[in-house]
Amino acid sequence: MSGKKRKKHFDSISDELDLVPLIDVCFLILLFFILCGRLTLDQRTEQITVPPTKTAQKLPETRGWERVVVNVYGSTQNGKPPRNSIAMPPLLPWYSDKVDDYTGYQRLRQELNKVHDKVEKYDDPKGTGMKLPKAIIEIRADAETEYRVVQEIQQVLSDTIDPFNNMLPKNVKPAELKSFVNIDFTTRKPGEN
Amino acid sequence: MSHGDGGGAAEGKLDLVPLIDTIMLLLMFFILTSKFSTEEKAISSLLPTDKGQMSSAPSKPVEEPKQVNICIYPAGMQKGYQPSEYRDALAKIRQPGQNVDFATLRVGADQMEVDGRTLSRSQNAEEVSRHINAIHGMIGAALEKFETGSGERKDQYPVIIHCFSGMSWRFALVAYDAVRYYESTKATFKFTGNPEELARMREVTFAPPRIRNYSANELGNELYEVIHMK
Repeated sequence: MSGKKRKKHFDSISDELDLVPLIDVCFLILLFFILCGRLTLDQRTEQITVPPTKTAQKLPETRGWERVVVNVYGSTQNGKPPRNSIAMPPLLPWYSDKVDDYTGYQRLRQELNKVHDKVEKYDDPKGTGMKLPKAIIEIRADAETEYRVVQEIQQVLSDTIDPFNNMLPKNVKPAELKSFVNIDFTTRKPGEN
Repeated sequence: MSHGDGGGAAEGKLDLVPLIDTIMLLLMFFILTSKFSTEEKAISSLLPTDKGQMSSAPSKPVEEPKQVNICIYPAGMQKGYQPSEYRDALAKIRQPGQNVDFATLRVGADQMEVDGRTLSRSQNAEEVSRHINAIHGMIGAALEKFETGSGERKDQYPVIIHCFSGMSWRFALVAYDAVRYYESTKATFKFTGNPEELARMREVTFAPPRIRNYSANELGNELYEVIHMK
């Protein structure tokens, strides 16, 4: 008699407790968070193999400093002037193909100006009268990138040349430049590809 | 895969088949979409604010400032030729669509050959480390000759890396790495990654570009200048 009762009791519980919708919802939430996290965090989406070095440090969390990653890839193709791509994810990469094509540098400068306007500034300790932004620009350049491209990006960062005027030197007072001077170069440990 | 005949539900059992189906699908999705990347690190640097191409820079000193030049150019090129000869030599070394894989790295009178393939493509950590150590050793020994004896590292002669613009980035960065390594052995404090500490360290910079339109003749001129730099 009592055994029968217990069986009935068990049946009614398993009828009420349907776990399938719970699992469905859990998976939906899981998927939502995984995809959202990927979109907001990943500034390193470009397939880039950075060069190896020994003195590199783990990317430090620097309080009060903004970190901006600039992905760079550039190569010589068929002996023609080099083609390069510059990317600041989530924005799409900017490509330059021809000798006088400075699209990548121009777009980079436009984005840098936005960052410069947004972040805190400090006085240049060298006494040039410049207001330097509290931002670290991380140049994540592929090992095979032509050195020229990295070199020109550094010039664009320091704002001493004008990509909108054939990369010629800017003719303004130092205090008017929107220079970024704190640069990190991305590297990896030797042997890890 | 069978989804059961419904008899299981009547008995109060949870049908696990759709759950397993979904998990398999999700697993496949993540396996296919995820990519495995190595942990990346960074070397910090500080661009100079008081020199370069600024038109309103302070008046130029009469005497050339003392500095240490690290020159990087394609291996096999020697001093004593004309720009046009360097131009022709470069055309022979550099095949269309390819990078120059071997570089000469020179500081003053010291020089060595660097194998770019080991640096960027080798999977053998030991081999890469050995090559990097050799570069560090050469640059360290050369820098030792330029020591001024002053206590503060920021008062040492600035180091400027002159890399031929057509070489790949790996060569310039490994030279930078070597100088930073040498500096870490001499440092009076440990760099923690705080950008403000960079102002107390020796100035190490990359030379600004020499040319703009990259014609073959200008590349020859640039090579001539880099190779003949003191």
